[in-house]
Amino acid sequence: MHLMTGASVPAIELRGVVKDYGATRALRGIDLSIEPGQIFGFLGPNGAGKTTTARILLDLIRPTAGVARVLGLDCQRESMAVRRRSGYLPGELRMYDAMRGSDFLDLIDSFRPERRDPQLRRALLERLGLDPTRPIRALSKGNKQKLGLVQALMHRPEVMILDEPTSGLDPLVQEEVARLLEDAVRDGRTVFFSSHVLPEVERLSHAVAIIRAGEIVAVEDIARLKSRSVHVLEVTFAEPPPADLFRLPGVSELRRDGPTIRLQARDGLDAVIKAMARFPVVDMRTEQPSLEDVFLAYYAAPVSPGEERRDVAV
Amino acid sequence: MLRCSVLTKVLREQRIQVAGFGLALAVIAALDVFIWPAYRDPLQNFQVPPALQALIGDLNIATAPGFLASEFYSWIPILLIVFAVIAGTGAIAGEEGSGSLDLLLAQPVSRRSLVLQKVAATCIGSALIVSIGYLGFLVSIPFVSIAVSLGDVAMASANMLPITLFFFALSLWLGAVSPSRGMASGLAIGVATVSYFLYSLANGVQALRSVRYASPFYYYGTGDALVHGLNWWHIGLLLGIAVLFVVAALRAFERRDVVTGGASDIGLTGVLRRIVA
Repeated sequence: MHLMTGASVPAIELRGVVKDYGATRALRGIDLSIEPGQIFGFLGPNGAGKTTTARILLDLIRPTAGVARVLGLDCQRESMAVRRRSGYLPGELRMYDAMRGSDFLDLIDSFRPERRDPQLRRALLERLGLDPTRPIRALSKGNKQKLGLVQALMHRPEVMILDEPTSGLDPLVQEEVARLLEDAVRDGRTVFFSSHVLPEVERLSHAVAIIRAGEIVAVEDIARLKSRSVHVLEVTFAEPPPADLFRLPGVSELRRDGPTIRLQARDGLDAVIKAMARFPVVDMRTEQPSLEDVFLAYYAAPVSPGEERRDVAV
Repeated sequence: MLRCSVLTKVLREQRIQVAGFGLALAVIAALDVFIWPAYRDPLQNFQVPPALQALIGDLNIATAPGFLASEFYSWIPILLIVFAVIAGTGAIAGEEGSGSLDLLLAQPVSRRSLVLQKVAATCIGSALIVSIGYLGFLVSIPFVSIAVSLGDVAMASANMLPITLFFFALSLWLGAVSPSRGMASGLAIGVATVSYFLYSLANGVQALRSVRYASPFYYYGTGDALVHGLNWWHIGLLLGIAVLFVVAALRAFERRDVVTGGASDIGLTGVLRRIVA
């Protein structure tokens, strides 16, 4: 137990969380422990259970079985304390259209008067370039999303639960959001965000859990994931090399076009380099593996029916 | 410190509605009083249709209380009930359907506090509507020769509140257990309409007289309050059942999942589960 050893309490902890909607099992026993001070990505296709998990953390829905904790507090029995210390951005963000942005932020602020921080709120609005005096109904989708981010971050919550935080934002704003989240976790606070977009998770997060069809299929540190990840190489020799040159463990040829070979190496490049060094090399290019390559190489299990494959691939 | 953010917000949202309903009531009230002198004499020989007589009970339409009962207190509660149903179904089902409930309930506010603040807001809103409506009597009765006092109409106007809150609480409960606001509104309006006609019908038809006890409008009593003052038993009954509906709504809402956007597909068994939970 973390508490007994004196180690830090996980920012978010899920133990055997199951959620049924009638006869449909949306979550099939989620186990997850997220240490504080990091940006944690929750990656999976639409309908995999990301939003369901986030809404359990806020007690909007109750798990059928299992326990969810935020900052060591039970998300159902101690929900008020959890919500006081958390900020939430819903995936389907709906606010009160008739209200002005600033009135809406005042409303959200009124629930945590002790944490009100007008300076931070102003800074967030400025950094995202949002004018809060306009009525919400007059805001574009992107500006609504900005308002949603401001309300989730402005009370300096210890845990930020953000469901698809950059959806609808243009790339420049996405960069600013990335910096905002980096700043937010610097003092030990935690961001838990869901996404179905791989490059986003890759760019933003320190660690990632991959969920599909209600099950966590992998939890990885992003840096480790990328370091042990696949390398894609394109080598051009002076003349076509022997056919069995790259018949090495963990290496597969993707394409051979005369003297040019495109290959993929799963366990580092050492064996490949040593093998090709025996022949004159004209040109060589390596590609920075994207998390997507990694994901597909390691976790591309057969997709269960009903799951939309295209959502996985960006 | 008691936090009333939601109460304030709902009151602010309802202010146009409250002003609109209140002014409508005030205008109708003043008009009724001002036209009374012109109707007083013709009405002496007027044969009142049975349906109307059934609504105003044993009051004589040729008297000022009878006239106000038939022209004002017999149907104004319907207007108030429309307000109550809008507020009642909006409180839970409405916000759930529009999707704004998710973000609201992600704040440190309990579901109970949220609902009770909305109940309080609607109590205040209804009282304001009736009070604004009363202004119509205030600016007319002193200037017209009419045999009712400002105190009588104050009592009769206040007497419209229990039935309004009864239908508010019913709508609130329906909104907590049914899959959509549309269904909750439909059911609430249906109950109001059927019980209104049941009351007027049962009052007029001897064979059905005992059926009227089943209608909340019987306990409202139309113009009775003008002549006999408030019937505290009836008021207590209406408000008591309203409280039970609020408690039932809280129980159902506190135990269930919040649905995101649109109608939920919980089906009939889901509705029953919410009701018996």
